Amino acid sequence: MDETMNERTPEQELEAFFGPRPAEPEPIGQLGIVVGGSLSEGLVVKLDRSTVIEGLAVGRYVVVRGRTGRRFFSIVTDVQLDALNPLIQKSPPDTSDPFMAHVYAGTAVFGQLEISPMLVLDSDASEPRPVKTVPSHFTSVYPASEEEVALIFGQEENRGFFHIGEPLEMEGTHVALDLERFVERSAGVFGKTGTGKTFLTRMLLAGLIKEDVAVNLVFDMHNEYGWKGQTEARQEVKGLRQLFPGGEVSVFTLDEASSRRRGSKVDAVVRIGYDRIEPEDVDSLSSLMALSDVQVGALYFLRRILGRDWVGRLLDENDPLAELDVALERGTIHGGTLGAIQRKLGMFRRFDFLQERVQEDPVRQILDYLDRGRNVILEFGRYGNSLEAYILVANYITRRIHEHYVQRTEAALGTREGEPRPLVITIEEAHKFLDPTIARHTIFGTIARELRKYNVTLFIVDQRPSGIDPEVMSQIGTRVTCLLDDEADIRAVFSGISGGATLREVLARLDTRQQALLLGHAVPMPVVVKTRTYGTPAFYAALGVPGGEDAEDVLERGRSLLRGSAEDAEGI
Amino acid sequence: MSASDLQVGRVLRASTRGFALGCAVMQPEIPAFGSFVRAEGQVSGQAIYGLIYDVSVEDDPFVRQFIGANPPEEVVRDQRENRQIPIEVRVLAVGCGDGETIRHCLPAQPPVTLDWLYQCNDEEVRTFTERFDYFRLVLEAREVPADELLAASLRVAAAARPESEREGFLIEAGRELVRLMAGEPTRLEGLLRRLRA
Repeated sequence: MDETMNERTPEQELEAFFGPRPAEPEPIGQLGIVVGGSLSEGLVVKLDRSTVIEGLAVGRYVVVRGRTGRRFFSIVTDVQLDALNPLIQKSPPDTSDPFMAHVYAGTAVFGQLEISPMLVLDSDASEPRPVKTVPSHFTSVYPASEEEVALIFGQEENRGFFHIGEPLEMEGTHVALDLERFVERSAGVFGKTGTGKTFLTRMLLAGLIKEDVAVNLVFDMHNEYGWKGQTEARQEVKGLRQLFPGGEVSVFTLDEASSRRRGSKVDAVVRIGYDRIEPEDVDSLSSLMALSDVQVGALYFLRRILGRDWVGRLLDENDPLAELDVALERGTIHGGTLGAIQRKLGMFRRFDFLQERVQEDPVRQILDYLDRGRNVILEFGRYGNSLEAYILVANYITRRIHEHYVQRTEAALGTREGEPRPLVITIEEAHKFLDPTIARHTIFGTIARELRKYNVTLFIVDQRPSGIDPEVMSQIGTRVTCLLDDEADIRAVFSGISGGATLREVLARLDTRQQALLLGHAVPMPVVVKTRTYGTPAFYAALGVPGGEDAEDVLERGRSLLRGSAEDAEGI
Repeated sequence: MSASDLQVGRVLRASTRGFALGCAVMQPEIPAFGSFVRAEGQVSGQAIYGLIYDVSVEDDPFVRQFIGANPPEEVVRDQRENRQIPIEVRVLAVGCGDGETIRHCLPAQPPVTLDWLYQCNDEEVRTFTERFDYFRLVLEAREVPADELLAASLRVAAAARPESEREGFLIEAGRELVRLMAGEPTRLEGLLRRLRA
């Protein structure tokens, strides 16, 4: 007996103790074999007879298991029907006889996939790397397994990773987004109206806040991110403030009355004094206000002559503007130009958040919050319907915050200490800010172009990516794209992405709801996901909101327990 | 594999592509169009396999005379069972074996004159038709009615299998035919229909 024990290998010892090791998991059934293709155009896979073509969809993940043990991770970009002889399409056989149908299926006629290999994993490596070659003819193709998806995207349990959804046809498999990489460069959520951009953006913001990879400033045009939002079926869902009751999220508002009506808990009201507005802020509205180049030039002249209070004085009908007399006389500024500027600036009177004099500096307030790691959501209330108000305020605040970040980053140059926390600024209707004609002049164009140099990146939400300056678009690192119909928009989304053309079909075939194509910097390879459902008890629970109760409910329940008045206190 | 000893006839003339044999009497199902036959090779254990593609009954002077004379029944039987001229059976060579393996190819040498040809039994037919490489030899043979011959041989091969395996066998054979005859979809469809006939 002893001899037998001595002869055992360590593996056998362990197996004797723990029982036999489970066998290596068998790959899930083969889909087909590689029959052609190229690295640039993608591979052609002839489907096995047993593979149900209707069960495959563009955007699905497959793995080609090469002969040298390499695994080529690929995405399905097209699904086709083909025949050995094209004549069969003109004169199809009678397949009402099951025998004939069995014989023809998979032989005379068969299904084909076009797949685009993206990553390759060597047999002895643990990290996939970009693909530089193709597998040989007749190599087997399998659906990707859950482990393989986790190998590519990382585990959601890892710090900085956030479960964003499930790959197509892989229910229960989680795709984790590397948020650290997501905030390294500007990112965008695109999709036509009604495809769930807002819900997706809110979920991504929730991930950024939960994982604490960056601090966020959200210009909330339609008041959907802060306290609560609504589904299309008019069901209420919790906003970020409710999801993170621990003070991680603060809500600022431009329209206190609107916030109060909506029951939104507000931390501060933003007011901007006329004396703080600079010509650059008005310049950003030049297209909306129809300011000509001459009028824009005149703004800077007026600021110089009239001083800090220039806007207030131009709006004051009783102010004689005596300093301008000489200029008007000399013709430095034309009377008509001055009158036009005064009329156009008159729009500011409609915005109650713009006031003659304001004690507090809203930018300072927001910066204080951001520096303390608190995420700020600025609700626009009724001003969300005014694009002028949205662009003016977003530009006004962002320009100054960016300046602050530039100064602080430069001050900290050479040492990591004192560097400001990475900031992500979320803007909606981004094409209005990043239109090719104005992108070079607005602060958002600058931020998008300078990458993460000053620790500020953009998170843009838009339904018309074709309206965004191509130079800016090429700098958008991660693109989360819901369904897009317009050819120009689809082209814009793929600009600057190598191999993007092969994914066009994938994008054009997305479901109208809860499906998105992720590609770019934060994902090792493009992926189509069925996005998580925001607003379900399971989602709230995953973010640590117990039972989907809101913070007030939890507080009230706690008070009741302490007072001993709660119905369920007996059991405690 | 146990070899059959059911004699079909003796070799009249032969080549590596096929051979003709003569038999005295026509029995039920022997010889039959599309059935598998085997001849012994020159070396012990070798076998040459073929498919019967033609059975012809030639006339002779006696038969010609009797046709118009309305012969009695015993004379008719005598003419059928003791023929002056043998029934000629033509066979297409489709494979050869060395006692262990069967290859679907033309034999190196034909059988010699007056060698016996045997009808393959079910086990031999099943073994021979485990693969379908002989299809090409049949399809490329000019002198034979290839489609009819293949269909008949496959029906024979299906019948040599248990009932439960016949449909699956014919489907697999059909798929091989699809691969070989993809360029002629109409002909293919006709052939596939004959498999079911």
